Amino acid sequence: MPITRNIIRINDLNSGFIDEFVESGRKIFGEDVLRSVELCIQCGCCTGSCPSGRRTAFRTRKIFRETSLGFKDSVLGSDDLWLCTTCYTCYERCPRGVKTTDIIRVLRNMAVREGYMADAHRMTASYVFKTGHGVPANEEVQKQRVELGLNRLPPTTHSFPEALRSVQEVLRLTGFDEIVGFNWETMELRGRI
Amino acid sequence: MTNIGVYICHCGTNIAGVVDVEGLTQKVAKLKDVSLAKDYKYMCSEPGQDLIREDIKNRNLDRVVVAACSPRMHENTYKKVLASAGLNPFLLEIANIREQASWVHLDKEKTTDKALDLIKMAVAKVRMDEPLTSLSANVIQRVLVIGAGIAGIQTSLDIANIGFDVVLVEKEQSIGGRMSQLGKTFPTLDCSACILTPKMVEVSLNPRIKLFTYSEVEEISGFIGNFKAKIRKKSRGLDESLCTGCGLCQEKCPTKVPSEYDEKMGKRKAIYTLFPQAVPNIPVIDRASCLYITKGKCGVCKKVCPAGAIDYERTDEFIEEEIGAVVVATGFDPFDPVSKEEYGFGIYRNVITGLQLERLLHAAGPTKGEVVRPSDGAIPKRIAFVQCVGSRDEHANKYCSRVCCMYAIKNALLIKEHHPESEIFIYYIDIRAFGKGYEEFYKRAQENGIKFMRGRVAEIFEEQKSRNPVIRADDTLLGMVTENELDMVVLSVGMIPRSDSSKIQKMLGLAASPDGFFMEAHAKLRPVDTLVDGVFLAGTAQGPKDIPDTVAQAKGAASGALEVISHKTLQLSPLISEVDERLCRGCGDCKDVCEYGAIEIVTLDTHKVARINPAICKGCGACAVACCNGSIKLRNYTDSITFAMLDATLGGAV
Repeated sequence: MPITRNIIRINDLNSGFIDEFVESGRKIFGEDVLRSVELCIQCGCCTGSCPSGRRTAFRTRKIFRETSLGFKDSVLGSDDLWLCTTCYTCYERCPRGVKTTDIIRVLRNMAVREGYMADAHRMTASYVFKTGHGVPANEEVQKQRVELGLNRLPPTTHSFPEALRSVQEVLRLTGFDEIVGFNWETMELRGRI
Repeated sequence: MTNIGVYICHCGTNIAGVVDVEGLTQKVAKLKDVSLAKDYKYMCSEPGQDLIREDIKNRNLDRVVVAACSPRMHENTYKKVLASAGLNPFLLEIANIREQASWVHLDKEKTTDKALDLIKMAVAKVRMDEPLTSLSANVIQRVLVIGAGIAGIQTSLDIANIGFDVVLVEKEQSIGGRMSQLGKTFPTLDCSACILTPKMVEVSLNPRIKLFTYSEVEEISGFIGNFKAKIRKKSRGLDESLCTGCGLCQEKCPTKVPSEYDEKMGKRKAIYTLFPQAVPNIPVIDRASCLYITKGKCGVCKKVCPAGAIDYERTDEFIEEEIGAVVVATGFDPFDPVSKEEYGFGIYRNVITGLQLERLLHAAGPTKGEVVRPSDGAIPKRIAFVQCVGSRDEHANKYCSRVCCMYAIKNALLIKEHHPESEIFIYYIDIRAFGKGYEEFYKRAQENGIKFMRGRVAEIFEEQKSRNPVIRADDTLLGMVTENELDMVVLSVGMIPRSDSSKIQKMLGLAASPDGFFMEAHAKLRPVDTLVDGVFLAGTAQGPKDIPDTVAQAKGAASGALEVISHKTLQLSPLISEVDERLCRGCGDCKDVCEYGAIEIVTLDTHKVARINPAICKGCGACAVACCNGSIKLRNYTDSITFAMLDATLGGAV
């Protein structure tokens, strides 16, 4: 973050960040949805509505302010970005029609591409590589399934190991392995967690 | 033999809830000279009025007391009842047992006693009241409008189009006022000239409007319906009747000075018109910069004028006009930000005011609509607007000027439209987008990528080499102090009263609000009237406002003035002071205390006496109190009446 004498120099901010952000999510949500971040009047209705913000330091309003002004590193590198539960409460209440949750999702995508990915998320992703499930059915789950009268394993990669190879192929082709940092040799994440 | 009827109103439960109305009525009926006392749920209603009317006729009442709400509410209603029953309406008294009793006390017994006292006083007064007849005065059916900006223009057109004559006086050499200086208007982005000039032309063509430009009202005397104005028609240094407005003189004049009309962003000649569509299209010679007048040299304009109109020696003329009503539409001045030293206006060349930017953005302005940096003429790419300069500020003007948010947003949008790559910031405390379509306009600015920075700009300094102004401000939304280096900074200055407004104020006897603007008679219910009868306000002379509000108020002022002058005669209240000329010694103490200038000392054959102008007198009674030998009395409020009222409540003499 460009800090000099504890003063933010507006000139040093990334004024192109907003366009980069819009471009990055254009295919998913369309330009109008993402440009709506510029309509924010910083009323704080989002922050006040946020169930996550009641328990954590997450301040939704600040993310939009920093995005508009071009605080790229601070927005994308912030742990706060991952505290949104995508409950869409702020999205429904925003008086200016800012598409809050969609904006946060695109910012997360950008953060991941820039190498900012929470370890917990990488770990979850590694299970997809290994099992085809973000949350694989462990022994406890399998026991409960039987008790409920279901098959021990669901009709997914758990039951069809050959399907797992297709999933892994998709992960390879989309480059998700590079984003997450997955080592196919060791079938583990690269680097220490 | 006096025959007084007393009518006690319940006002629903407003009075009856606290006052024992029935017990009160019985007691009142026993008072001396009271021949009947009645109570009723709503005395002001149609059946209540009928009750009084019938009793006057059938029971031969000759005086009436109504015990009800404040006389401000319904005195007129009951006066009309008396008149319709054939009784002189001044033989009515109101005992205010609502605002002065039931609304302000809780104890039923004591409140009822107080109501009885108030009625006793009213009975004592009405017994001694004299029947009075309203006076009438002739009305001069013309209106004087001072100032020909959009407010004065609209008022004049409305009055003239309804069929009455207008005398329109403008200080500057052309009509049009501040609006003519503006490029475009918010929120519709109409070109200011495009909507204003048709009205200017309409003024010049309307046979009912007598237009004096480059003229000032110097004196106003008289009273509602009968004012006299002395107008100074300043010399333009030429014969207006000969000038054809060809513009050759302007073209050839060798002297160039900074143009006041362009807010010093451009130059003008020593003989000049304000702008190409000026009405009238006749130039003025600026005596301070004309070479011929100051040094006896040059004389080029005289040589080239094909009409032979130039006349350097021409002097001011004085004209007297008689009018029945006056509309003050003198407008505003922009706040001069030099006193806000922290912003460096006047020191840093690339810090300009909002009105200067208007001139740059104006298609007919000094740069033909191109916004350029004063220091080097370059096109600025990073521009910031600083809001509330001198507004909402205990060190300058405490009030909000109401237009700056919108004009900054408008000009930001216009610049962005011309140069989409430019970066524009608006530093604000609050965005006040209160008008129709204004919030939507604000949103449009956001949609166009204009950055709104919350925080009052603390200071501006300059990068010496580039002459770039740098803004330092707390971004209160981020909670961080920021610095922003820009190509140009625009100070959004507010409106202040015209520098010569105190002259107008004194001349007309107007009041001013704490902000210095002319004060209306009532903030809500009489917003275009003044406390001087027959004088009305229009536009920013009354307080900061935008064009739609100005036009609306101008139309209101026209309606107010028309209400005065559309009748040939005027009814005047007879409740005024009168002088007993046999006793008066003409000492003038009364004249000194009269707030309204209603008293004149005249010399008779043997001595001096005070004379009261019934059209100006408001019946306040100050003169009667000041009079050292009791020769002035206020009708129906004489000392003997006052003492009788006191006796009625304190002495139990009734």
